Amino acid sequence: MGTLARLVDYIRGGGDHSISVPPFDGALRPNERIEQGTIVASAPAPDNLVATPGGIVFSSGRAILACSGAVAGAGITTLQQYPTAVTALAATGDTLAVGLDTGGVSIRGGAHDGRSFASVDERSLNCPVALTFENPGTLIVANGSARHAAGEWKRDLLERGTTGSVWRLDLASGRAALLADGLGFPYGLLPLADGSILVAESWRHRIVRLSRDGRLEPVLRDLAAYPGRLAPCAAGGAWVAMFAPRRRLVEFVLREREYRERMMAEIPSDYWVSPALAPMQSFLEPLQGGTLKVLARLKPWAPSRSYGLIVRLDANYRPVESLHSRGDGTRHGIRSVLETADGLLAASAGANALVLIEHSHGG
Amino acid sequence: MEADTPNIVEMRGVTKEYRGVPAIRNVDFSLKRGEVHAILGENGAGKSTLTKILAGVAQPSSGELVLDGRPVSFATPREALAAGVAMVFQENSLVPSMTVAQNVFLGDEKFFNRMRGVYIAAQQLMGSLNFGVDPWATVATLGAAKKQMVEIARAVRQNARVIIFDEPTASLTPEEIELFFALIGRLKQRGVSIIFISHAIEEALTIADRITVMRDGEVTTCAAASTLNRDTIIRAMVGRSLSSTLYEREGRGTRPAGEQILSVQDLSMGNIVRNNSFSVYTGQITGLFGLIGSGRTETAKIVAGIMKRRFFHGGEVIYGGERKRYRVPRQAIRDGIVYVTEDRKVEGFFDTMSIAENLQIAHLAASRSGAAVLRMRDAQALAQTWIDQLKVRAINADARVVELSGGNQQKVVIARSLVQKPKLIIFDEPTRGVDVGAIAEIHQLIQRLANEGMGVLLISSYLPEILNLSDRILVCQRGRIVEEFTAGEATEEGIMYAAVH
Repeated sequence: MGTLARLVDYIRGGGDHSISVPPFDGALRPNERIEQGTIVASAPAPDNLVATPGGIVFSSGRAILACSGAVAGAGITTLQQYPTAVTALAATGDTLAVGLDTGGVSIRGGAHDGRSFASVDERSLNCPVALTFENPGTLIVANGSARHAAGEWKRDLLERGTTGSVWRLDLASGRAALLADGLGFPYGLLPLADGSILVAESWRHRIVRLSRDGRLEPVLRDLAAYPGRLAPCAAGGAWVAMFAPRRRLVEFVLREREYRERMMAEIPSDYWVSPALAPMQSFLEPLQGGTLKVLARLKPWAPSRSYGLIVRLDANYRPVESLHSRGDGTRHGIRSVLETADGLLAASAGANALVLIEHSHGG
Repeated sequence: MEADTPNIVEMRGVTKEYRGVPAIRNVDFSLKRGEVHAILGENGAGKSTLTKILAGVAQPSSGELVLDGRPVSFATPREALAAGVAMVFQENSLVPSMTVAQNVFLGDEKFFNRMRGVYIAAQQLMGSLNFGVDPWATVATLGAAKKQMVEIARAVRQNARVIIFDEPTASLTPEEIELFFALIGRLKQRGVSIIFISHAIEEALTIADRITVMRDGEVTTCAAASTLNRDTIIRAMVGRSLSSTLYEREGRGTRPAGEQILSVQDLSMGNIVRNNSFSVYTGQITGLFGLIGSGRTETAKIVAGIMKRRFFHGGEVIYGGERKRYRVPRQAIRDGIVYVTEDRKVEGFFDTMSIAENLQIAHLAASRSGAAVLRMRDAQALAQTWIDQLKVRAINADARVVELSGGNQQKVVIARSLVQKPKLIIFDEPTRGVDVGAIAEIHQLIQRLANEGMGVLLISSYLPEILNLSDRILVCQRGRIVEEFTAGEATEEGIMYAAVH
């Protein structure tokens, strides 16, 4: 019966074969709060924000940059340049863990300064997209894909990649333990008080809790956008940076294998039918249909190719609040957020800027 | 209206008793030429009885009916019609299998009935009234609003001097109500006197010259509309002020959303429901506003397994985290989804059965055990519980549902749904054709269900109801949700704009 039901679903485009996406409603109701935020610093495609005792540090392309002084009106200084793009950051005390696009994680500062880990358990850390310290000696690494580097994330999505893994890395001994495998691009990590880890599984549009005994338990499913990095929230719960919205066209293309293969073989990746981090820059890109307006109103659930979305989850991991930059805005592709004393700081790849958003809860 | 305009109709000390129980008592009533006279009152207040006497449907037990200064007595509606008194009934009196034109001319056909002429005359009549009803259409295919238009056209054609409208606006959309009011204005200019029975107080205040309020078979107030307001009318209707409990939010905030219980994604059915997407959360009331024909009811019926979505790419209904596609309503009921119908007379209950039997059938439909011995004692106990809980006013649980008033019938329909222990309850126009007192009780019930943590989807075309009850407001237009409002920021204008554009 199961097989037959799946066949019927396949034929009529229902169940797992449907191309429907959930709407932005309820807690995800659109607003303009990201657009209303202030730009505090400009940097090309800022990525991962972390708080260090010396101030806020973030990655941008090949560089690790630091905001000097207070967040508002901060000056930017370069901490370090790498030969390849920086894909992830994590900080504890003075120690900074840096994930690189050529693979591997290197440690900067602290007791393990200078160490680097290119592979663990004979498996390459080719795509470290999220890092977090469980304690100063233990690093959790999310390897987004076993097949592609972090910069090739579109390809991994279009190949329906489920080769992501999460590792626990002991920095002193270099021993690693595989916590979970077969994940659809684990792009966010958040260690919880009970020892389990919250993992954002982007390509499966869900957030799972990885318990100490290795069980995966979905806590939030069928999200309207691809969840990215997670950040703790002072009021309890978590912030989720959703870097791109789900779209019917992408869901449709994901069901057409031949089309995808030809597209990936023949067209530059910027013009693929896939989610994007920045609003349209070239006429060769697929049109952002959602930016069309009806009677001078942008409809609330207008789907666009890129979007800016930050969601706050409560202690039960239910969405309670969201911040948006909609189809007609530019502050899209929020890959990382950080709660600071001044408000919520978001790294927008679409606007090439750090945006500070006023936030009342536990700010 | 000048005071010296002659009374076209006068009723003096009219009493009507049914088996010794007076339905109206010693009522004095007058209607002037070219006047719009609204009669307001709760269900069972005697409005319908009063007008039925005037239209010849019922005869007074005592008292006098005076038409143009001469005492008259109508034995049948036909006599009343001959004297120029026509009534447009709340329940349709059209023949569903005949065309619109045939219905308009029903009872007046010539011996050799030439249909072409009938259709042309009907077309002209509809045109003159600005009604967009096709005279060739069969009445069964028309919606409630268009049926109403046919009824009105029929009354107008018969050159009635007095037209009685019984709840004319209950089934009309806001635009249609505007059209209807314009029509009343035109009829008034032609010197036709109009009696307008309604539950909707604002409507009466808008169009009536004079308002009579009845309670328990007696006239409590009769005054020019300009001297009355909503509050004085409600007080006259129910003997207490209900206004705040009815349509004001009493300063209460919105309930926070609980779990997402229902997620509808890209649901499609024909041209009615087109890529509809929305979510419903537990512990709060999600209001769904839309004009008639915007696909609200159809969406709800697809969710509840009553209708089917499109076969190919019909979209998804995700209930409690699982994709659902019900073949029959029973599967939905067992999963905890119930739909409280908007058309209770057709879909809501078995009208000649008792309350107890109706509830027992609903209980059986939801129970998982197969054939079992039915015990009427259990049914009685079940019925008594719900009659007490919902304050159904009936003699006992054996009362047949058809004998109850609209409000009490609606409570039985709601009880039938609650017997099935739902987790998600969909109310479709829960207070249509329900009197003010029962509206307040039904509203309290809906609030209580949400407070108890149930997911409530409230479909309504009545803006104050949506604004007052909902924690989230969704607006449906042409088959899809086009706008979402929070309870705090929603305004009537904003919602209407979204619903129309």
